[in-house]
Amino acid sequence: MQVVKLSLKKANKIPIEADNVNPDNFAGKTAEEIKAILVWHGNGQFPLGDLFNVEVEGSDSVENTKIVFEGDVSRVKRIGQNMSAGEIEINGNVDMHCGFGMKGGKVVINGDADSWLGCEMTGGEIILNGNASYYVGSGYRGEACGMRGGKITVNGNTKDYLGEHMCGGEILVKGNVGLLPAISNNGGKIVIEGNATMPASEMKNGTVIIKGEVSDLLPSYKEEGTEEVEDVTYRKFVGDVNVGGKGVLLIK
Amino acid sequence: MSEILIKNACVCDPAQGINCETMDICIRDGKIVDSVSGNAKVIDAEGKLTMAGGFDGHTHSAGKINVGRFINPNDARKNLVPGLSGQVARTEKTRAQVGYNTPNTYAIGYRYAKLGYTTICEAAIPLLAARHTHEEFKEIPILDKMGLSLFGSNWQVMEYIRDKEPEKLAAYVAWGLKASRGYGVKIVNPGGGEAWGWGKNVSGLYDPVPNFDVTPAEILMGLAEANERLQLPHSIHVHCNNLGKPGNYATTIETMKLFEKVKPSRDRQSLHVTHVQFNAYAGTSWRDFETGAPMVSDYINGANHLTFDLGQVIFGPAVTMTADGPVEYANSRMLHEKWNNQDIELEDASGVVPLFYSPKSFVNAVQWAIGLELALLVKDPWKMMFTTDSPNGGSFVNYPEAFTYLMSAKRRAEVISGFPKMALDRMVLPGIDRELDFYELAVMTRGAQSKIYSRPEKGNLKAGSDADIAIYDILPDQIDPATEYAKVKKAFSGAAYTLKDGNVVVKDGEIEATPKGRIYWVNAKVPANIDSTVQKDLDLKFKKYYTVSKSNYMVEDMYLENPVEIGTEGVF
Repeated sequence: MQVVKLSLKKANKIPIEADNVNPDNFAGKTAEEIKAILVWHGNGQFPLGDLFNVEVEGSDSVENTKIVFEGDVSRVKRIGQNMSAGEIEINGNVDMHCGFGMKGGKVVINGDADSWLGCEMTGGEIILNGNASYYVGSGYRGEACGMRGGKITVNGNTKDYLGEHMCGGEILVKGNVGLLPAISNNGGKIVIEGNATMPASEMKNGTVIIKGEVSDLLPSYKEEGTEEVEDVTYRKFVGDVNVGGKGVLLIK
Repeated sequence: MSEILIKNACVCDPAQGINCETMDICIRDGKIVDSVSGNAKVIDAEGKLTMAGGFDGHTHSAGKINVGRFINPNDARKNLVPGLSGQVARTEKTRAQVGYNTPNTYAIGYRYAKLGYTTICEAAIPLLAARHTHEEFKEIPILDKMGLSLFGSNWQVMEYIRDKEPEKLAAYVAWGLKASRGYGVKIVNPGGGEAWGWGKNVSGLYDPVPNFDVTPAEILMGLAEANERLQLPHSIHVHCNNLGKPGNYATTIETMKLFEKVKPSRDRQSLHVTHVQFNAYAGTSWRDFETGAPMVSDYINGANHLTFDLGQVIFGPAVTMTADGPVEYANSRMLHEKWNNQDIELEDASGVVPLFYSPKSFVNAVQWAIGLELALLVKDPWKMMFTTDSPNGGSFVNYPEAFTYLMSAKRRAEVISGFPKMALDRMVLPGIDRELDFYELAVMTRGAQSKIYSRPEKGNLKAGSDADIAIYDILPDQIDPATEYAKVKKAFSGAAYTLKDGNVVVKDGEIEATPKGRIYWVNAKVPANIDSTVQKDLDLKFKKYYTVSKSNYMVEDMYLENPVEIGTEGVF
């Protein structure tokens, strides 16, 4: 097992783009080598060691590498971008694009996440113990496919556009979500335990289960009896008929 | 005085009939000359393939491409051709680059230069949007640029044709070229742009345009007559009716036949038909869709009055952008794709739709084959320009890949082997074993363009021509393109040297310098009395219908960088 502990030397207002900070890039490296990895800070590139205190214990393969961010990194973006294995633990808030395009491994956030958490991820798992902002598990601007695989669990609430353009994988939100969750979905499964507003517009495929209250259910959904999931009976809606969709929306 | 001597170049210059002969090229002050002094800087070409700078005669690189950028922000990240696409950080010599089908302006300049290209022609400038097109031109480094102005669905044009006033029409065209600082007359789906304003289209050459009582055939003939009357350097540049529809090859041939009686006023063709691949479809629907390339190329082989370009399809993501509004609407409905539609007031309508060409789709596979069939079945390469109609058929950065299809039957067979069986019955490509050589390739990428656009100083290495030169890392006598196509692709993807006006802009595939190119535009002379009556008509049009005033419409000289004004003498 290799454990890399990172803590900010001082709080930063200008964002750090930490797209190089993932187990794939850290595995088997010494503290000195990791300190030399360049990250963008504003419009310049700096060695990681200039911005973070780096402690390394052991040396191991990617699968057995764990990165621990101690403290708040709410101005550090793209942590865990494209990671394929290993684990990242963040003990504080994190900035945008955490877990973007992640392929495998696990990210645990013990704080809040900003927008675009787990966008376009194809595998692996993200567990968020706080709240998330906009566009969890969605696609980059203009992209027709957002999250394609893996699982995101949000133990708090999220804001609008949860799982936009989702094509696969699973999202579980234990709290409430904002406007238009599951917009333009093409596949995958979203479970919302709290409340939602105007869910599943333009959904072509996939499943959305909402256990809480739904406000402003779109008129472009056809009711087709009921369906039971895990011993709970839901009203079943199919649509969005506006786009000839075959998505399933289950509401209590 | 700056002098350069390129030694031991294996020159392929069809304009002079030179087919891969080792010789020296002398350059003085940006022009090719017969000899230079002993003080000249020497570049040793080491026997590598040397051609004039490439000239892309039909590409969308300014104007509409910006709408493509808006609706495809995701394109900025696409990196399908490493080194020539995707996000590239700035360097000391270059600015940051993004994109694949719709790269930013700087990337367009750098990437064309890396392919050994030095001149491009933007294929469609709406008069009303010309100023913005020139603003983008200004930001495309290195390349010489020109643009074709759109006239095919223009109210003023259709009215003069309906009222049988050919002299006024010619004067209007001359004014339009000047207002947009354009180089030639582009016609897109004649009449269709206006019909689209009423949610309709024209279906062929003899469908009347709503409210104007003219037919596409009359628009074509009228503008061709005006084009020859003004003695413009380029013939009319036509995107035929019924583009992208099964069975449209018949309309295409009908259009070509119409021009047999048009007499060119200069030593060039009287008609240029563009992206013929999209207009050479047989069958009656997408179910029985098949190639119409044999019929079209048969006709072209027997005709001497026209030239064309390919619109070759490249597999992968593309962005279609055209002033053919109705075809883009149809595309977006069929493909369930996002789209943009622009109404250019009295002049045109246009659309932008992204799409994906998949080798697994039998229609896309046949489209891919049709472009190559046209290139290989038409015997005379001087009649054609190689294009992908970038980015309609695919991005220009794929030209090296496409060259390997033209030069190697083995490479084509490799691609065809992945096609669905159904596609094979619909194409004739597998039965064609012709392989082009470097000489023919040089004709299709430089020589023909020089002739078709009447730019004698471009696309050749004659003394007096611009010193735009590409040296590729290929030793022509030691390579067999039919089998070593990987080497061909690599060499064409990053020129060993690209020279622009005698400046080394690319060395070993990397940008060395980014000088500013020229803008060519045509100023056609019209008698003052005719011009003044046309101006009165225009004043009325602007007052009554346009959202802008006439004085806010013209592209002023300040928008042009290094303009080259080409004067022509009108015959009235």
